[in-house]
Amino acid sequence: MNRLQFHYFHLMPWPYLPEDFDEKYDSSWVTLPNSIYDPQKGHALYNRYFDEIERADKLGWDSVIVNEHHQNAYGTMPSPNIMAAVLTQRVKRAKIGIVGNALPLHDDPLRVAEEIAMLDVISGGRIISGFVRGTGMEYFSYNMNPTVSRERMNEAHDLIIQAWTRPGPFAFEGEHYNYRYVNIWPRPIQQPPPIWLPGTASLETIDFAAAHKYPYMTVFMTMEQRKMAYNLYRRIAEEKYGYEAQPEQLAFCVPVLVAETDEIAMRDGEKYIMWLFNKGLKVRPEFNFPPGYISERSFLGVLKSGVWQQREKPGFKELLDTGVIIVGSPSTVVEKLAYLTDELHAGMLVTGGHVGDVPDYLVLRNQELMAKEVMPHFREKPIKSEPRPVEISSGS
Amino acid sequence: MSVPEASGTTVSDEKIEHTIDVRGIATHLFEAGSPAAPPLLYLHGTSLGNLWLDYHRAMAQRFHVFAPDMPGFGLTPRPDWMRDMSDYTLYLRDLLDTLGLDKPFFVGHSLGGWMAVEVAVWYPERVGKLVLSNAAGIRVKGSPIADLFAMNPAELLGTIFEDLSAAAPLIPPEITTDYLLAAFRERTTLASLAWNPSYDPKLERRLARVTCPTLIIWGANDRLIPPVYGDRFHELIAGSRLVKLAGTGHMPMFEQPEAWSRPIIEFLSEQA
Repeated sequence: MNRLQFHYFHLMPWPYLPEDFDEKYDSSWVTLPNSIYDPQKGHALYNRYFDEIERADKLGWDSVIVNEHHQNAYGTMPSPNIMAAVLTQRVKRAKIGIVGNALPLHDDPLRVAEEIAMLDVISGGRIISGFVRGTGMEYFSYNMNPTVSRERMNEAHDLIIQAWTRPGPFAFEGEHYNYRYVNIWPRPIQQPPPIWLPGTASLETIDFAAAHKYPYMTVFMTMEQRKMAYNLYRRIAEEKYGYEAQPEQLAFCVPVLVAETDEIAMRDGEKYIMWLFNKGLKVRPEFNFPPGYISERSFLGVLKSGVWQQREKPGFKELLDTGVIIVGSPSTVVEKLAYLTDELHAGMLVTGGHVGDVPDYLVLRNQELMAKEVMPHFREKPIKSEPRPVEISSGS
Repeated sequence: MSVPEASGTTVSDEKIEHTIDVRGIATHLFEAGSPAAPPLLYLHGTSLGNLWLDYHRAMAQRFHVFAPDMPGFGLTPRPDWMRDMSDYTLYLRDLLDTLGLDKPFFVGHSLGGWMAVEVAVWYPERVGKLVLSNAAGIRVKGSPIADLFAMNPAELLGTIFEDLSAAAPLIPPEITTDYLLAAFRERTTLASLAWNPSYDPKLERRLARVTCPTLIIWGANDRLIPPVYGDRFHELIAGSRLVKLAGTGHMPMFEQPEAWSRPIIEFLSEQA
């Protein structure tokens, strides 16, 4: 089996939704009343989540990861850099990923450059810096114009990389961001901190990632969609940018539930993972795709995929069968991950043990089984150089 | 007429359909009415381009009507650089020059009302009279314009129409990919212009610069742009008149074409 990195992603969800959530609310984003959030419970929850992350570090995960989302129950980390700051004091060994800061949502990307630099210095150069555009929902929550999202993303990216790596002071003259003096103190240890780009298969993001040789992370997609995205990445890397993409450039974010047996895993998976899809990701379609957030070409892709009209959410079995989730005994999970490493040549798994209201002992079970019975299969073996992937999907 | 044609012209008994070149923007428009009658430029609201309906016909009985599709709507493309209202204001001045219209009447609905009033602010010498119907462009604190970006098509129709049967001309026989793509493109144009701010923060102060006779007409039940916006326009445009139409909302020209066009025609027909 090819080698695989294991990254521990925590979404920090708000699991305490009211009994009548399904009937009463059409979205857990943007408009779900924040009276549902209880700060006292939140205090305990945050600290429980930090404990889980600390365990992942001790169990040997390569990194722990947090992210940025706003005004929702899916993930309660509006400021991921604050979470990362806490983790620099809790996590002693693993890298600390922020995957990522939602650049276009903010009017001052220099602040992101500064905060990541601070975190990199504090952590001794352990920061992974993801950049994202934010979901469509966040353009409602922050009242940010979605039609300039990609321009702002690309420009903020350029500014931040320059702020980290170019001697200051210098001027940055952008269309959306304009600075007379870019001269950040402190500077990061890593030159620059590694960048990751999560995405949902839009051509523009894949091209951008391939152009910069950044890891591209597919998020909650079917195996077929991931395959198409990776093929596209490899094809663009080779044909447009003249290099061969490596497994470390292809990451997959997938919920994994592992238990002692397939039967137990299925029972627990159906009980807990569905929170993510039925509640955490319950979103009005209009919030998901604000106008101009994706290009016409990508919108056409969305239309063709049928997502637009799809009102019936896939059930547990469908998610399992299509590879959106991975559930099973350690040997089943190893087998499924091996498909990703050996067939799709992806080299980075991004997954967490915490979904919805899963109890702590099950989070621990997941973490331990992953660390002790799954990880070793993918460790300390050289990455095969042959055969290199050749399949090129004409539809991608 | 010496209008540069970007492509063909189609003439029917009732109207002429052109595509003309407005400084590089291939602008689709309908023209109707007697060339001897006073010219009237009708500016449609969001996603209401490329239509020729009873309310257009009613205006064409008395005026020489030009009904262009604004860039990004109907059949007129929007160049990527066209991103805020100032681009549309300049475009409209170019359109007047292209059409050879010196000082036509402007009738603008909703987003088109915002465009019309901007022209009246910046180029008062080019606007004969101004009619604003359920117009956007300003903000009335405490009475937000409804968030149409958050609405699905059914919710949007339910918000803007009192009488859904009047929405028939807007409902396609079949929801095709082309239709959805065009709708996405038009919403993107609107977002580009009006996501945030959804109004021109300086317009209220500048409304004092509107000097032409102005009629403000509003559906009394407008749930998209509440009638209080009509009150505010009326308050800030000196000498303006305000008409509210009972039993209709944001789309009075669809629901009550006769009741909507009559006061407009009367107002525009008055001698100064």
